[in-house]
Amino acid sequence: MDASKQINEREALEMLAETFAEPPENIRPEVERSTIVGWDSMGALMLMAELDERFSIELNAETSKKMQRIGDVLEFLRQKGALKS
Amino acid sequence: MSQTRIPHLKVAGVSTCVPARVFDNLERGKDFGDTEVRKVVAMAGVRRRHVVEPGVTATDLCFEAAVRLLERLGWARESVTAVILVTQSPDYFLPSSVCMAHKWLGLHSDCAAFDVGLGCSSYPYGLYLAGTMLQAGGQQRMLLLNGETPSLFTDPDDHATTLLFGDAGSATAIEVDEQAAPAFFNLHTDGSGYDGLIVRGGAYRDRTPSNPRLNFLQMDGAAVFNFTIKRVPALIRATLEFAGLSVEDIDTYLFHQSNQFMMKHLIKKAELPMERVPFVLDRFGNCGGPSVPLALTQGGAATPTAARRIMALGYGVGLSWGSAVFNLAADAPLLHSDYSGTVPRS
Repeated sequence: MDASKQINEREALEMLAETFAEPPENIRPEVERSTIVGWDSMGALMLMAELDERFSIELNAETSKKMQRIGDVLEFLRQKGALKS
Repeated sequence: MSQTRIPHLKVAGVSTCVPARVFDNLERGKDFGDTEVRKVVAMAGVRRRHVVEPGVTATDLCFEAAVRLLERLGWARESVTAVILVTQSPDYFLPSSVCMAHKWLGLHSDCAAFDVGLGCSSYPYGLYLAGTMLQAGGQQRMLLLNGETPSLFTDPDDHATTLLFGDAGSATAIEVDEQAAPAFFNLHTDGSGYDGLIVRGGAYRDRTPSNPRLNFLQMDGAAVFNFTIKRVPALIRATLEFAGLSVEDIDTYLFHQSNQFMMKHLIKKAELPMERVPFVLDRFGNCGGPSVPLALTQGGAATPTAARRIMALGYGVGLSWGSAVFNLAADAPLLHSDYSGTVPRS
């Protein structure tokens, strides 16, 4: 991952709030997917598009469906080297 | 590598036909909720859809499109030596639907005719088949019919699909012309994703499913979207490279009108000029494969002033994807009509 593309956790949470059209205060690592209205089937596509566009990261459908909390997305970003440790 | 160069391919004209019956998606708020419907409309970009009346099929739509095209071109019926119908909305399991189109059009018995079962990728595949048949010899003039009626296999209770798809038919006239420019084709398949878009019931693997919903389309939106962002920009790059062209050398990129969000992402990722990509989703929805010729007849000037180099892009069910690069003369007719049901049939 190009270091210039890496983001920190705060920036990642802001990105997810924008992607799911949620107020930033609602987006925290422990928040469950089922409580985020914007993280529906369309929101999942938005997230795929965002990660592809911003980091050239492929989020496949299977991995996307397994994500149950905001923290799962953060962990995925970390594994892919997009999140600064 | 399934890449093919055909030395000469003349697309003489294109005609499309859609049902006259129009559904406004925003009126479906009472069924799915206003917020949900507005969200789907905003993302997919589909405001209206043309939907067939009961008893009308893709073959009917293609027939009327073909009649108008043959008349405009002045092609005698006996001069057509082959006709291909590409559809996944056949009239019957057998015979091939094209045989009815052959009859209705009054085509000669010295005419090859067959159906091909492909969906969203059908237009470039159909052009490829027609082009290679012409190149092989024995054919002079061909009709490529490409029609789909997804409204007949989408679940009326599934807002993700029923608000997305519309119906359309098309006819494309192709003939031998030694002066015509070469055409380039790039065709692909990934069968591991066969169930990303599927109608499980009704055919021979499960003729009468216990769950009647299996007779309708099931779509794994995430899997299909993931497939397109992975495959389509690469397809565009590979096609340009194979044809020895740059992005700027293509005047019009005819995308399968999948959905607005997906298309915009693909255009951005492939770094294409947005103004060279016609969008007709708002008026017609996703009509499957024939959305490509529909984008040609309805996505720009009806009477272009100059010849154009076109890249047609189909991608989806299969999973199947492909491209075709061809030239279109400025005087090639681009026709469009609503289905009347009154055009005389032989």
